[in-house]
Amino acid sequence: MGRHVICPAGELQPGEVKIVDAEKRSIGIFNIRGKFYALRNTCPHKGAPLCRGIITGLMVSDAPLQMQITRDGEIVRCPWHGWEFDILSGRSVYNPHRMRVKTYDVAVEQMPEEDPTVETFPVQVEEDFIVLYI
Amino acid sequence: MELTEAPARRKREREKLFIVDTDVHHGVRGWSDLSPYLPRVYAERLRDHGGAGPSSQYWHNGGNRGTRADFMDLDDPILSTRRQLLDDCEIDIAILTGSTGYGACVMSDMDLGSAICCAFNDYTLEHWVASDDRFRVAMAVNTQDPFGMAKEIDRIGSHPAVIAIILPGGATKPYGNRVYDPIYEACERNRLAVMIHFNGEGVGINGPPTAAGWPSHYVEGRMMRAPVYMAHMASFIFEGAFEKFPGLRVVNVEAGFAWMPWYLWRMDSDWKALRYQVPWVKKPPSEYVREHVRVNTQPIDEPENERDLEPIIEWMQGDQTLLFGSDFPHFDFDDPRGTLTRLPDKLRRRIFGENALETFHKLQPSD
Repeated sequence: MGRHVICPAGELQPGEVKIVDAEKRSIGIFNIRGKFYALRNTCPHKGAPLCRGIITGLMVSDAPLQMQITRDGEIVRCPWHGWEFDILSGRSVYNPHRMRVKTYDVAVEQMPEEDPTVETFPVQVEEDFIVLYI
Repeated sequence: MELTEAPARRKREREKLFIVDTDVHHGVRGWSDLSPYLPRVYAERLRDHGGAGPSSQYWHNGGNRGTRADFMDLDDPILSTRRQLLDDCEIDIAILTGSTGYGACVMSDMDLGSAICCAFNDYTLEHWVASDDRFRVAMAVNTQDPFGMAKEIDRIGSHPAVIAIILPGGATKPYGNRVYDPIYEACERNRLAVMIHFNGEGVGINGPPTAAGWPSHYVEGRMMRAPVYMAHMASFIFEGAFEKFPGLRVVNVEAGFAWMPWYLWRMDSDWKALRYQVPWVKKPPSEYVREHVRVNTQPIDEPENERDLEPIIEWMQGDQTLLFGSDFPHFDFDDPRGTLTRLPDKLRRRIFGENALETFHKLQPSD
């Protein structure tokens, strides 16, 4: 399991996604209302860059021909064929128990002074950083 | 020799298929047959001015005016049907799918259309059903008049022989639309299935028969049947009709069935992509089909090797979803004695009888 310091937390605003390469994987990191989540940027359907899809809510219905959006910003809809995934869990909407995309842990941590992976970032030591664990 | 043949013959008799024929056409010999059942104003209108015209743009059809040229006696179609179909083909239950009601659905005068449907239903019960206890009825319904037809379904829908309604394929809106809800509510009250039969496309008040325009010949018209059913099935599923009416059963008649696997795959695939636009659709469309939709065998699909039908039947879960229909007395009639004969016996029993008994609420053994 690798620890990857990605960027200062302030660089990824609520509602935004940042796509990074780490350990030969493309991974999307999402900021949803100030909390961070990460998904493999590969749709299990046809390998599309899932995290570049539309970020939206979950459309639900209590009765035929009635609908409303819930969980605003917590669903990503794949750019190729529209399959929806829950960003928080990686589970697909259409079959959450059998179709899912890999999730990763993300933390916000203060950058340790000696961390060599952040040498390229011009930052203050007391600043919060997004850290991805694979 | 006799010693060995006799038990074999008994075995064959014991294993005679129980046959439900889901598509037996019946009708009137002329408008005068309906006169006793019509309000006088309509009886006189039809007497003085004639009928409403063809219910199919492609009226020239095949055979002898659409009918088998060997149909025994057009002057007594009831007796001919009993002898030539029920007796000769050993049909146990024959569902009468009509003729006259289809044209009534596309007439510009909606009230005349409804009156014709009601009269035809009475005529059917008093003449056809009364003649033979093997007959069941898919009653005529004027699709233009959902509220009027809900009353008609309540009027005769509790008759033991009435087990379904029948709607023509041609329509102004596909059948999952909520304008038809009064009809389906009445069907649920009376435990009737909904059958759809190709007819009325491109006729009367309906639009063109295909999105590609107007074909010239009857044989072209036959090629557009499956898409009509596809449009209606998609409407039932994606308008949420099966969520609203959990007891609703829909039977598609006379468009064959080999198109079904592709259609189910396509719908499931597109639902995964577009579910968010119809979130009341709670499960893959193929599951709604398995629970609510059936198709019949006629006109039988004929690959060069009949065994090629077996995987297709498996892909569409035909052991539950496929029902036999003969289309008697039409020229492209499928005789049960020569239909799907190469299938395993167990599957034949499902298709020729058991599936229908499970599909129609009023054919279930406990009924």
